[in-house]
Amino acid sequence: MDEEQLKKFDWTLIVISIAIFTMGVLNLYSATFTEFVGHGLRYWQSQLIWFGLGSVVAVVIMLVHYKLLSRIAYWVYFANVFLLLLTLVAGKASLGARRWIGAGGFYIQPSEFMKLSAVLAMAKYFETERVTSGYRLRDLWLPTMLILMPVALIMLQPDLGTAMIILLTFGSMMLFIKIEKKSLLLVFTVAALTAYPVYKFGLKPYQRQRLVSFINPMSDPKGSGYNSIQSMIAIGSGQFIGKGFKKGTQSQLNFLPEHHTDFIFAVFSEEHGFMGALVLLSLYVLFFLSSLNIAYVSHDKFGTLLALGIIMIFFWHVFINTGMVCGIMPIVGVPLPFMSYGGSSLITSLIGIAILTNISNKRFMF
Amino acid sequence: MSFLGQDEQIREYQFRFRYLYIGLFVAFFVLFARLWYLQIMNGDKYHTYSEENRIKGVKVTSPRGMIFDRNKHLLVDNRPAFDLEVTPQELYSDKEWKKTIHTIAQIIKMPEEEILDTLERSKGQPTFRPIKIKQDLEQDEVAKIEAHKLDLPGLNIQMEIRRTNLFGDLAAHLMGYIGEVNQTELPKLNRLVGATGVPYKMGDVTGKFGLESRMENVLRGIDGEEYMEVDALGHRKRTNKGITSGLKPKDPTPGKNLILTIDQDLQMAAQRSLEKLYGKKQIGAVIALNPKTGEILAALSQPSFDPTLFSRGVSPKLWGELLNNEYHPLRDKTLQDHYSPGSTFKTITAIAALEEKVIDENTTINCTGSFRLGNRVYHCWNKHGHGVVNIHKAIRESCDVFFYRMGQRLGIDTIAKYANMLGLGRKTGVNLAHEEMGLIPTEEWKKKRFGQEWIAGETLSCAIGQSYILTTPLQLANAYAAIGNGGLLWRPYIVKYIEDNDGRILKEFQPDLIGQAKISKQTIDIVRSGLTAVVNEPGGTTFSRRIPGIDVAGKTGSTQVIRLSADKIHTKCESMPFNVRDNGLFAAFAPPDDPVIAVAVIAEHSCHGGSGAAPVALEVIQTYLQKYMPEKYSDEAIKTRLKIASGKPIRVKAKPEPDEDEDAVRDTEIPDVVAKPAPPAAPGDTD
Repeated sequence: MDEEQLKKFDWTLIVISIAIFTMGVLNLYSATFTEFVGHGLRYWQSQLIWFGLGSVVAVVIMLVHYKLLSRIAYWVYFANVFLLLLTLVAGKASLGARRWIGAGGFYIQPSEFMKLSAVLAMAKYFETERVTSGYRLRDLWLPTMLILMPVALIMLQPDLGTAMIILLTFGSMMLFIKIEKKSLLLVFTVAALTAYPVYKFGLKPYQRQRLVSFINPMSDPKGSGYNSIQSMIAIGSGQFIGKGFKKGTQSQLNFLPEHHTDFIFAVFSEEHGFMGALVLLSLYVLFFLSSLNIAYVSHDKFGTLLALGIIMIFFWHVFINTGMVCGIMPIVGVPLPFMSYGGSSLITSLIGIAILTNISNKRFMF
Repeated sequence: MSFLGQDEQIREYQFRFRYLYIGLFVAFFVLFARLWYLQIMNGDKYHTYSEENRIKGVKVTSPRGMIFDRNKHLLVDNRPAFDLEVTPQELYSDKEWKKTIHTIAQIIKMPEEEILDTLERSKGQPTFRPIKIKQDLEQDEVAKIEAHKLDLPGLNIQMEIRRTNLFGDLAAHLMGYIGEVNQTELPKLNRLVGATGVPYKMGDVTGKFGLESRMENVLRGIDGEEYMEVDALGHRKRTNKGITSGLKPKDPTPGKNLILTIDQDLQMAAQRSLEKLYGKKQIGAVIALNPKTGEILAALSQPSFDPTLFSRGVSPKLWGELLNNEYHPLRDKTLQDHYSPGSTFKTITAIAALEEKVIDENTTINCTGSFRLGNRVYHCWNKHGHGVVNIHKAIRESCDVFFYRMGQRLGIDTIAKYANMLGLGRKTGVNLAHEEMGLIPTEEWKKKRFGQEWIAGETLSCAIGQSYILTTPLQLANAYAAIGNGGLLWRPYIVKYIEDNDGRILKEFQPDLIGQAKISKQTIDIVRSGLTAVVNEPGGTTFSRRIPGIDVAGKTGSTQVIRLSADKIHTKCESMPFNVRDNGLFAAFAPPDDPVIAVAVIAEHSCHGGSGAAPVALEVIQTYLQKYMPEKYSDEAIKTRLKIASGKPIRVKAKPEPDEDEDAVRDTEIPDVVAKPAPPAAPGDTD
C-alpha cells in the first residue's frame, strides 16, 4: 500500500468493530470471570487470542484485491462444503451436536465460515447473470442448490441457527436482486403450505419446543421457556442505567443459561441498562449504515453483491440474537457478532469486516 | 472492465437500497421499543423479580436403585448426608461475624483458623456463593446448628444424598462403589444410553465397580427439575402464585431396585467365622452357590473396604492405603484371583480314574509315604504312608501317592477333559467384571506356552491339584455343585430379579444351564461317599472340625504359595512368616445326597484346609441348612435325630480331636503361572 492508498484507507468499520469488541471483551470478563475455558485460560483471554488470530487473517485479506475473491469464490465454497462433510464424519461431538473439527484443543466450526463462503458463491454467480424483468424460479435452481447443499449439511449437525442465517441471507439477497412477482407469490404459497409438515416432521423435538415456547414461554416443561423468562428478567431488571459492571445478579448467579454465548446481550443489558443497550445497538446501526454505504457506492456488481451478502449476515445475527434475548424471537442458537464468546464466529466477523473494508478501498480504482 | 449493462443494473440496484434502509430502521426501532418496554416501562417489576423473586431451576435428585438380598433385607441404600456451608455475603453483613465463627468452630470441633483459611481461599469468588466448610456432619452437630440457626447468620446446612452400604465392608466387591462421571467416561456412558435416553452430565453419579457398575442402567436414577421462586438469599418463597406457576416440573425417574440371590445371614456367618479364624486381619474368599440353579448365595472377599467412603469421593489417603495393602483389598478374590486348588482337585482326578475305568472302587494301592518316578521321589503329605488305600480312603485321608498313581495311569489330557467338563479352566460367565479363567493345562497347552514337551512328573503334581493348575473359588464351588447334583453345570448368577419402586417385578433372571458333565451315577456315588467321609469318618482330614448333625461332603486342600529352598520344604507351616504360610482350601456340598448348597473357601496363609478353611465352610453350610431346612437341621431336630440314631444323647458341640489335618505337599519348584496377578484398576475405571 502506498501513501495515496493509505490516505484513502477506510477506517470507519474497523473503528466501530473494535469499539464493539472492546465492550464485548469487558462484558465477557464480567460474565465469566470465575470460569475457565480449559487449558487454564479465562474466556476473555481466549477471546483476545482469537481476536489476534482473526486480525492476522483480516489483514491478509485487506492486502489482496477483492477481485481475487471472485476468481477463487467457487474453490472456497467447495472447500468449505467439504469441511462440513468432514465435520459430520469426523467432527467432535458435544452436547448432542457435531459442529467442531480440529485437533489438540484447537477447534473450528466450518458452519460459521460457510455463511461467508455461501455469500461469496452467490456474488460470483450473479455477477455474470443478467435478467432485466426479474428472475423466474427456473433461473434460480442452480444458486438454490448451491445454498441448500450446505444448509442441509448444517441441519444434520444439527445447527438450526446457522442454517437459518444462511437461508435468510440468501432470501434477502434474492429479494434484492429482484424476483418476478409471480414466482415470488409461488414461493410464499409453497412456504406457507409446507410450514406445518416441516414443523411436524422436519424439526427435532427440542427445536419444535423452542418455537412453541416462543409463542407461549410459560408452556415449556423442558426449560427453554425458563431461559426466555430468565433472559427477560435480566434485561428488564437492568432498568435505565443498569446494575453495574460485574453486578448483574441474574447472570452471576447462573440464572441465565449460555450467558457467555447466546445470551451475552442479556448480561450486558442487565449490567448497563437501557443506556448501555442504546449505545451498543447504536454502534451496530452505525456499522450497518456505513457498510450499506460501501455496498451502495461500489462500482461493480460483484462488490455490491458481496458487500450486501456480508451485511445481511451481520444484520440477521444482530437482529435474531437481540430479538430472541428480548423475547420477540424464538430461541435459536445464534451468536451476537463481536460480543458472544466463540473463535469461529469472531474470525468470521473479522473476515467480513476485512472484505467490506477492502471493497470500500478499491472503489476508486476503476 | 464492466460487463455489458452492468452500470445500468447497478443503478437499478441503487434504487432498491432505500428498502434496505427502511428495513434497518424498522428492525432497530422494534428492538429499541422492546428494550424500552422491558427496561423502562416494566423495569421495576423485573427488578423486583431479580432481587426478590428469582426463579430457580432446582435439581430434584432422583434416588439410585436400592440393593436387597434374596429375602429383601436392605443392603445398599441412599441416606442423607449433611454439609455445612457459609455464604460470605450474609456472614460479613453481621458485625460480630467473628463470634459466629467462634461458635461454629466449637460445634463442629474444628479449629477456627481452619474455617478462616477456607474463607480466605475462596476470596475473589462472588460473595453470594456458599462455601463448604465441613462435609458429613454428625447428627448432634446438625441438631445444634439447626437450634442456633438464628444466631448464626450466613450458615446453612445442605443435605445431600450419600450412597450407604448398610453392612459396611461386607461383600463390598460384589456391591461395588459409585463416583462422579469423569471426562473419559462421559462419551462411553452416553453411547450406552443411546439417542432415546437421558444423557449423563459431568458431576452425575455412576457405578464404577461391582454391581453398581454392572447394573448401572438399572440402578441409575435420572434427576428431575422443578422451578421455584427464591429470594435474594436463595431461600424458597412461600407463595406459588408468581411467575413460575406456568412452568411444569420435570419429574425425576428413580432407579430400579436389585434383589440379589445373596443371603445376608450367610454372608455374615462367613465373615463371623473368618474372624474367628484370623481376628481382624482376614485374607480369603468364601463363595456359596445353589447347586440346583447356580444362584450365588454368598460371596465374600477379604480384606475389603467400605464403599460408603467412596460415594462422595474417596480421599487420596484411603485410596493409597487400599492400593498399597499387600493383601489387595480392592480385588474380588472369589473370581478375580485364581489359586492352586491343591487337594480339592483330587476329586476330579478320582472321577476321571473311575470313569476311565483305570480303577474301580475296590482297587488298592500301597502308600509308603513316597513314590518314585524316574530319578525323582514324590512325597505323600503323610511321611509314614497311608498303607493299603482304596479310593474311599484315598479321598478321606487325601492320600497323595494314590493320586500320583492315578495321574500316571490317566495322563494330563484325560484329567483335563474331566476338569473342563466340570467348568474348570474357563470363565463361568457370571455377570461380574474381570473374571479370571483359571488354568487347566494340557500337553498341547505347554508346547504352545513354553515350547516344551510335557514331563510325566508334571502329571503327578497336576493330579493332586498343583503345578500349573489354577482355579478361582467361584469355579471350584461350581465344579463341586455339579459333582453334587450329578453333573449339571449352571452359570452362576447374582441378580435374582429387578423391581421398580412400587415393588413390581420388572425382570426375573432364570437359571442357565451351561454344560452337562457325563459322569455315571456309580462314579458320583463312590466320590460322594469319599467326600462325606472327609468330614464324617474318623481319619477324615476335617473330621475333628465336623458339626454333628450337619451332613457335608467336601474336600480339603492346602497349597504352598512361594518357592522354597530344599532345606525349608519340611519347615512346619505355623513356624514360617505369616505371608509365606500355605493357603487352606475347602470345597463342599451339602447335604451329600441331595445338595442344596455348594461352598468353596480359600483361607490364605491359614496353613491347612481342614482346620483353616473347612470350619468357615461348615459354619456357612450350617447357617444355610438351619435356616432353610429347619425341620431336619434345627438344633432341636438334630438332637432328636442323633438321639434316635445312636440311642444316647450326644454333645452338639464338637470337641476338637487329634488333628488328622493334611499338610501341603511342598515342592522346590512352583510354576510362574501361579504368580500373583497385577494390582487392580484405579478408581474411575469402569469395566
